[in-house]
Amino acid sequence: MTPVHATFGEVTAERRIASVPLSHVSVELGHLYMEDFEAGPGRLREQFRRVAPWLATVRALWREQVPGGRARVSTCFLVDDYFSRFSTPAELVPMVLEAAAEQDLTIDYLARESACAQFEDPRSGRVELARLVEDRIVDDPPPGTDGSRPPVKETGWLCNGSRSPRTTPLQAMGKARPWEPPAQNAKRGHSIFVDVELWDEKGPRRTWSCPFLAAVWQLLRLGLLRSEGRVPLTPVAVDGDWPRDWDGLPALVRLNPQAAPFSAYTTLSVLSPRFLPVELAVRTILSQVAVDDEVLRQVAARSESEGIRLEEELVDRISYVFV
Amino acid sequence: MLVFAISDKGGTGRSVTGTNIVYRHALQGNDVCYLDFDFGSPTAGAIFSVSAVARGTRDRNGLHEYLRGECPQPRRVDVWAESDREGLRTRPPGAGRLVLLPGSEGGGELSALTDELIGRCAQLFGRLEEEFDLCMVDVSAGRSFTAELVLAATVRMPAIPFRWLVFHRWTRQHIIAADGLVTGDDGLLDVGARFGHDPEVLRDRIRFVRTAVLEPDAAELVGLRDEQRAWLSACDSELRELARRHGVGRTAMLGKVPLDPVLQWREQLITDEDVLASKIANAETAAAFDELAKKIVDDSAWEGL
Amino acid sequence: MLVMGEVQTGLLQNSGEISESACRQVLGLMAGETVRVSRRPIVHALSPERLTGVDCALPTASRSRIRGVGTVVTRCAVTGGRVAQGSTYVRVVRSETDRRLPWSHYLARPGVVEVLGKAKAADLAEGFTGDPAPGCLDLGAVSGRFLDLVQASPLLDRRAPFKMARTSLRWVAETGEPSIRFTLHTERERTLRLTHPGPFTPAVVDLCEDLALHDWLLTSLLVIVERARIGATPGAQAVARLAPAVDHLLHLWMPAARVEEWLTPFWESLERRPGFTRQWRSLVDRVRDQVAMNTLALLTAEAGRR
Repeated sequence: MTPVHATFGEVTAERRIASVPLSHVSVELGHLYMEDFEAGPGRLREQFRRVAPWLATVRALWREQVPGGRARVSTCFLVDDYFSRFSTPAELVPMVLEAAAEQDLTIDYLARESACAQFEDPRSGRVELARLVEDRIVDDPPPGTDGSRPPVKETGWLCNGSRSPRTTPLQAMGKARPWEPPAQNAKRGHSIFVDVELWDEKGPRRTWSCPFLAAVWQLLRLGLLRSEGRVPLTPVAVDGDWPRDWDGLPALVRLNPQAAPFSAYTTLSVLSPRFLPVELAVRTILSQVAVDDEVLRQVAARSESEGIRLEEELVDRISYVFV
Repeated sequence: MLVFAISDKGGTGRSVTGTNIVYRHALQGNDVCYLDFDFGSPTAGAIFSVSAVARGTRDRNGLHEYLRGECPQPRRVDVWAESDREGLRTRPPGAGRLVLLPGSEGGGELSALTDELIGRCAQLFGRLEEEFDLCMVDVSAGRSFTAELVLAATVRMPAIPFRWLVFHRWTRQHIIAADGLVTGDDGLLDVGARFGHDPEVLRDRIRFVRTAVLEPDAAELVGLRDEQRAWLSACDSELRELARRHGVGRTAMLGKVPLDPVLQWREQLITDEDVLASKIANAETAAAFDELAKKIVDDSAWEGL
Repeated sequence: MLVMGEVQTGLLQNSGEISESACRQVLGLMAGETVRVSRRPIVHALSPERLTGVDCALPTASRSRIRGVGTVVTRCAVTGGRVAQGSTYVRVVRSETDRRLPWSHYLARPGVVEVLGKAKAADLAEGFTGDPAPGCLDLGAVSGRFLDLVQASPLLDRRAPFKMARTSLRWVAETGEPSIRFTLHTERERTLRLTHPGPFTPAVVDLCEDLALHDWLLTSLLVIVERARIGATPGAQAVARLAPAVDHLLHLWMPAARVEEWLTPFWESLERRPGFTRQWRSLVDRVRDQVAMNTLALLTAEAGRR
């Protein structure tokens, strides 16, 4: 008798990672906070007027790069419903769409910022995207980190180097240490030390910081997040009227039925310069988030098959225009 | 099981009693370890007669450095292998492991409590508890950051069983002080509750141990005059009444250790050889340690008060 | 160049074995990632992988200073709902530059440490399985911390049926002519040198974890038998001390259960020398004989009373 080759498989022992459709670039046309809303529709029109030429430029650049000029560009718009709740979707969404249309801009997707913290998914229940990303943070180790001790953490904070050491002794009659400056790990001569607050807690309630949610938002737009192997957030079209309550609005809404996919190989955000410190913080966070290996491979394989060379490091896939 | 040994004042014989209890517990067939958390004066090595760490380790790997985060794991001393005393250097048949975690030579009391410090302490307790039947932690005397540290660390590991032993001498001042250390303002119960312990539960996990007790009928007192004996007896009953009023009485007492010259003049482990062969120590003393070593894990001795 | 790892193995701190669903929660070390469970021939649950950043000297036999930067991978496992493991490994490769790059470069290569400057694989392998100097890459500490996380799960009652120290297995795997060397050092430390044909795959880690698990089982059973003091204590007492082994360990022995076929010859060669299963069987026989003799004695006494 010849030897029998047996194969035995168990579904729960295997890991499956869903893939996500990808555009070439996802352009964020704006990010609306309560203060912008309070400033009236003029502020919004001004924002779109500034964005329009940059969107055109990005489209043109990608058309050149992609064979046949079939660049897939999707646009999105983020509304803050996390730090403060204002207006209603029924009032706000038409206003935003109208202001964009005046500049010949099409907003393909609209997202609620609170979705970057957590949202209710009709299929899998509550999805805590922020927790998901928090667990994927791998601290940038200062030289001398040999694994023997846990990473030095200030609970709820993340930095790009090592903080000033404690000066007061832990031991009675011990020597106090002189003050030493903090240091950036990747410094060139001198440090630019950044320490970012990721969240704070008052009692049992945790509030994620704006840069942290913005980091989650970038990862969503890059199509790099998975929850239990599935794509956590997929766009939903809204039939009929806009709801009168933010919770009634899907976390990510597809406004344009012909839109290119929401997630993309790269992202571009057109922002006011006042967001510069926030985005520095976002990059500090993102440069310490380890994206799933399998997901990275999927994206790399897809882009390669299209003849597009992606930057290896994900912070390099993110670009900004500050105007 | 974690056992925290604390005393109201210095000089109660806390360390020498604690070490003798773990030694007896090891002889009874259990794996035990002794953690020298008496940071201001880390001398447990001397009691175990391990001269290399008599006043703590010099290799920058003691409990002091470990808790400060300066070494990844604290040094462990296998007493059966490293003691200088002939009678301790071979593990008796049936005895368990006897391990000392020394402090650091020249180390001092803690002067602050940080989150990392508490985390490292909890990690150490968690790991030792996986391995040893009994971990005795010598917490030093009186109110200290060390006592706070272990109260904070034990809150983080609610499933790990722990008990406290409060050592005190059989005098008026000591009885009042021992009670104060437990139930007074900023005492163990008060601070424990602040860190998140349930004071009722914590109360049930605390017992008193009387040290250097001179019983009125002890052999040492044979030569006394009748007047002296009557006075001693009166004192003793007065103290018993005082102890009862302060909640330090019989019900809260786990045991007592008689006055023994060996312990007064040289802090050391009392081996059976000291009792039977050289006869320098009293049999009652060894028996008291043996009894305490059993009671410490005997749940019936720890039922609610 | 080579792959190195360290597995720490210990008794799960719970009174009884835990269910598959409890395993999933205890090993849920990362939100949004599933714990992988296989049920045949023994329930084996594997946590998601976590990364830890390092930038330090690598251990070398020559004591030359070699700096490595990158991330190490850790995962935890629970076998039979009873034995817990923390396992960390890293692939060591040469860096294309001799300076440290931005951190995102290393995050794009999970589980890889890049060596800055010159290094010889043999020097690193000898250094890691020898006596690593303090301040060098400490994979055991990383494994230990993740194992602590598992052991501190609120789902566990911490009333383990017996006390047992963790064991540590440090291993190095390289590509080449097949060979395997398993060495016992102190009571609790073991090392493994493995040379396998073809490139490294995570199946090699599975093999090392399987060896570490069985070595721990054997070590623990030896300790329990020693503690029972068979012959020196009354039979009933010895049997009572052996009981935890019967209740919690004897059914867990399943060598090479999860080892890929191309790696089973390595297990088989260790079965010839030193013969893990041979020693295990002889110990199990000893335990069972004690139990049987004690039962017989009880029955005889019972009969005598009638």
